[in-house]
Amino acid sequence: MNSSLGLRHIVQFVVFVALQILLMDSLVLFGTGFSFIYIAFLLFLPIDMNRVLLLFLGFVAGFAVDIFYDTMGIHAAASVLLAYLRPFILNLLTPRDGYDTNDSVNIHIMGWRWFLAYALTLILVHHTAVFLLEIFSLEGLSAAVPKILLSVLFTGVVMVILQLLFFSLKRANR
Amino acid sequence: MRNLFAFIYRFRAFLIFVLLEALCIFLIVRYNTYQGAAMFNSANTYVGQVLEFQSGVTDYFRLASVNSTLARENAALRQELMLYREEAEADSTAQLDTTLYAPTDTLKAQPFILHAGRVINNSVRRTNNYLTLAAGSQDGVKPGMGVISPNGAVGRVKTVSKKYATVTSLLHSQMLISAKIKKNNTFGTIKWTGGDYRTALLDYIPLHVKPEIGDTIVTSGYNTVFPEGINVGTISKVDREADKSFYTIRVQLAVDFAQLSYVYVVENPLRVERDSLELEAGIQPNE
Repeated sequence: MNSSLGLRHIVQFVVFVALQILLMDSLVLFGTGFSFIYIAFLLFLPIDMNRVLLLFLGFVAGFAVDIFYDTMGIHAAASVLLAYLRPFILNLLTPRDGYDTNDSVNIHIMGWRWFLAYALTLILVHHTAVFLLEIFSLEGLSAAVPKILLSVLFTGVVMVILQLLFFSLKRANR
Repeated sequence: MRNLFAFIYRFRAFLIFVLLEALCIFLIVRYNTYQGAAMFNSANTYVGQVLEFQSGVTDYFRLASVNSTLARENAALRQELMLYREEAEADSTAQLDTTLYAPTDTLKAQPFILHAGRVINNSVRRTNNYLTLAAGSQDGVKPGMGVISPNGAVGRVKTVSKKYATVTSLLHSQMLISAKIKKNNTFGTIKWTGGDYRTALLDYIPLHVKPEIGDTIVTSGYNTVFPEGINVGTISKVDREADKSFYTIRVQLAVDFAQLSYVYVVENPLRVERDSLELEAGIQPNE
């Protein structure tokens, strides 16, 4: 498993952003559940990723979605926040004997509990930032809470499905 | 000095984080106002191409409803045309026509021009919704023009590129449309408060008028964006709150924003003249 930034991650960037724009844009549950699956690109990057590079990648991914959503800056701000907090969450969740060299963000390698704790925390941070920046005040807070919770659940489920489908153990060991 | 550099190097991630967030906040404040030029948005040529490709695929799923809308509009137009023809046949007093309106009424002499545009990107469920049209400056679309559909008012053009335009939908938290109750010409402001995309709020209707459920709301024509009398919706609920001097009126919107496929951009040839005159007189445009 290559831990540096390679072609594989560029492809993932394109695929996840395209998935977000072309499909997830029109897939909204009950008018409240949104799926911002493009952050899967940021979450699935190598564990020992350079922090500064990660911040810039977060900005680029958020900015790309912003252009298509006409929400200049909102997704970029939330993604940069996510990219900044990612190393801290990874630190918190370090296994007892530290990360192995071939560890990656993979539900098969790291296990369900680790993956869900990692992904749901960061998704929650990102979605809260997006919806709060969107209303840009605290008065619509009560309306935003169900939106945030349902969206976190929705994105989380989609992310787990993606992991089970495309990040099989065989591929990870390649 | 070396300590300073060491300090900066140690906290480089945090400093870059703060810098990028500051840039984002700047972008949010600068470009998310409902009217204002934006450099990067869905009117961008490359972005527009992607969206056009997407709608090229998804449009096939909506062909039936698009066809029936166009057919219904055709029928309505034909009916109106027949009415005019009948009137023209029976009417021999064309010269008397000038008694009905002043011959110098510029609005009568220069009607509005419509540019058709296909909707290639649309949203209804966000707090601030926008549309993207496959019609741009080469088709005569300019920022600030009104956008209507066969059913009623849709929004206002925000930015244009050569082939595409972004439109601030009526479903935008900062979009206000000057409207009036058709039966008694009382004018107020249409505003969308989020939530359900089929209903909006009609504000500033004073308490002495008697709005009723089912009354039609149309645009007022008091600004240069929309022509007078474009359908907006019908009143679905009238509330009278004790501490307010205006009614709180819910309006069922005439346009189903989730089903938009073809719209018309309204060009007012006299807009620049009227706007500059009103500005000169010190009247703030009341969007």
